[in-house]
Amino acid sequence: MSLVSAAFLGFILLAALVYYVIPGKARQVWLLILSIAFCCAGGFYTLVFVLISAVTTFTGGALSAKKTKPAIRNVFCAVTVIFNLALLVMVKFYGVMDLIADKLNYFFASGAQTSTFMLYAVPVGMSFYTLQMIGYVLDCRWERIAPEKNFLKYLLFATYFPYLTSGPMNTYAALSAELDKSKEVRFSITRLKEGSIRIAWGFLKKLVIAERAATLVNASYGDHKTYTGIYVLLGVISFAVQLYADFSGCMDVVLGTSHLLGIDLPENFNSPYLALSIREYWQRWHITLGSWLRDYLFYPILKTPLFIKIGDISRKAFGKKKGKKVPVYLAMLVLWFAVGYWHGGLWKYIIGSGLLHCFYIVSGMMAEPLFAKIRPVIRADKAYFKVFQIVRTFFLVLLGFVFFRSANLPDAIDMFRALVRSGGIAFDIEGIMGMGISLPDLYVLVLGVILLAAVDIFKYREKETDEPRSILELINKGGILAGWAVFVLLVLLVLVFGKYGLGYDSGAFIYARI
Amino acid sequence: MTREEVYGKLNEVFQDVFDDEDIEVNDGTTSADVDGWDSLEHINLIVAVERTFGIKFTMGETTGLKNVGEMVDKIIAHLG
Repeated sequence: MSLVSAAFLGFILLAALVYYVIPGKARQVWLLILSIAFCCAGGFYTLVFVLISAVTTFTGGALSAKKTKPAIRNVFCAVTVIFNLALLVMVKFYGVMDLIADKLNYFFASGAQTSTFMLYAVPVGMSFYTLQMIGYVLDCRWERIAPEKNFLKYLLFATYFPYLTSGPMNTYAALSAELDKSKEVRFSITRLKEGSIRIAWGFLKKLVIAERAATLVNASYGDHKTYTGIYVLLGVISFAVQLYADFSGCMDVVLGTSHLLGIDLPENFNSPYLALSIREYWQRWHITLGSWLRDYLFYPILKTPLFIKIGDISRKAFGKKKGKKVPVYLAMLVLWFAVGYWHGGLWKYIIGSGLLHCFYIVSGMMAEPLFAKIRPVIRADKAYFKVFQIVRTFFLVLLGFVFFRSANLPDAIDMFRALVRSGGIAFDIEGIMGMGISLPDLYVLVLGVILLAAVDIFKYREKETDEPRSILELINKGGILAGWAVFVLLVLLVLVFGKYGLGYDSGAFIYARI
Repeated sequence: MTREEVYGKLNEVFQDVFDDEDIEVNDGTTSADVDGWDSLEHINLIVAVERTFGIKFTMGETTGLKNVGEMVDKIIAHLG
């Protein structure tokens, strides 16, 4: 079930209605029923995948936390983690799935051609899911939490339907505390209004902005001969708009839905395109993934005896200041390779979402002593320099996106070539319309991007760790009617300008495929 | 080891790791208060503290400390 669909809206309505009618004690059971139903709607294989993952991590967590010898607990923990990673790799990589599907088709003599039924039956968004489940096992092993004793409660954590397809990623400690709030939560008009506004805003981002930007993206990425020069730039920037509107719009629907139920999930975005550096960008973009990787991969790598030893050797070789950075650089390499690989196992992801960003961050760290000398000379504390930093960071992010969106590595390189290639059509309004977008649609897209940027600029705080300004608080200041007026306006905008309806298949969320 | 003695040693560790002889930490000190204490430098600090006191933080403690006060509590618990 797509999160941006009439079916999902009906699902939320039913979920919330019953949720607030039944006694508090029964709500977690209701949420579990809904979540299992949501899994079933995702297909039989989604349910099987989720159940296998839930049972193994629940058992693995309990065995990893038992008061036995650390070595035995390590074995239980490692077996559970490896099993779940293997399960993810198996369902993610279609080559393997094709093989299984072919066998199954053959076995069932269904007559289906090759593997299509399995191809679409594999669970979506399961990368987030698997990492989160692995996080639970590691939390038990590292004694951050006591293992959950009630399997049904754990199953709710594992299947909670709002976040199941695209995140955000949760820790068990945080989400179980939120889920416990369901017993006490009372219906409130304010919560209904806030959740509804957030869901409508998510729909607007996806159906009005992302789907229009997709037209320009598909044209420019699809034809490097016709669309050269500025068209390439237009396509690349449009993809940055599409991906952000798509992914953050999805998160708005997820967080808005959960907020309706009185269960608050962590934010995944914080004005990412206003980051001053790539390091800051990753603290503002896909925040929960960054936190997971830091806590469960980066820190544990750096704390291994091998990396501590490397640190000792490099300090002796390069001095204290430079030497202590060597293990960090190496751990970064492992981390960013994993980030890229996690996005889909293809080189375009490993480079575009992984190693390229590693290069940005590590080279920035290496050049820091030089930057420290230059900054006072060029008066880097002035506003102009911050604007330069924002533009530069955005440009570096765009380079990565070219790899991410292209069909493969050679295609990405051809896209860069198209930027300087001559022979394409002239850049004018007719040329842009030739990409498949009408003039009114173009206006709507531009206005949508301005609105998106205005909201992000309003929310922006210079320190990425500070709580962003709340647009809902601003709306609430206008009184109850102002809130509902904003909601009605957003709904109208979606109804009038949204790309939906009979015969129109809104694209799946980009990150749901991850 | 008393809390004061732990702080005496801990200040030296902070001054050494962050290259600043003026650093004085207390119970309420957080990463936001110390220039350079970011996610990359955090592990260097943790390893330096472990070596100074001859203890080993768990991964839960490594990532879960909210302030220096909690770090001192854990150090005392490990030493105890």
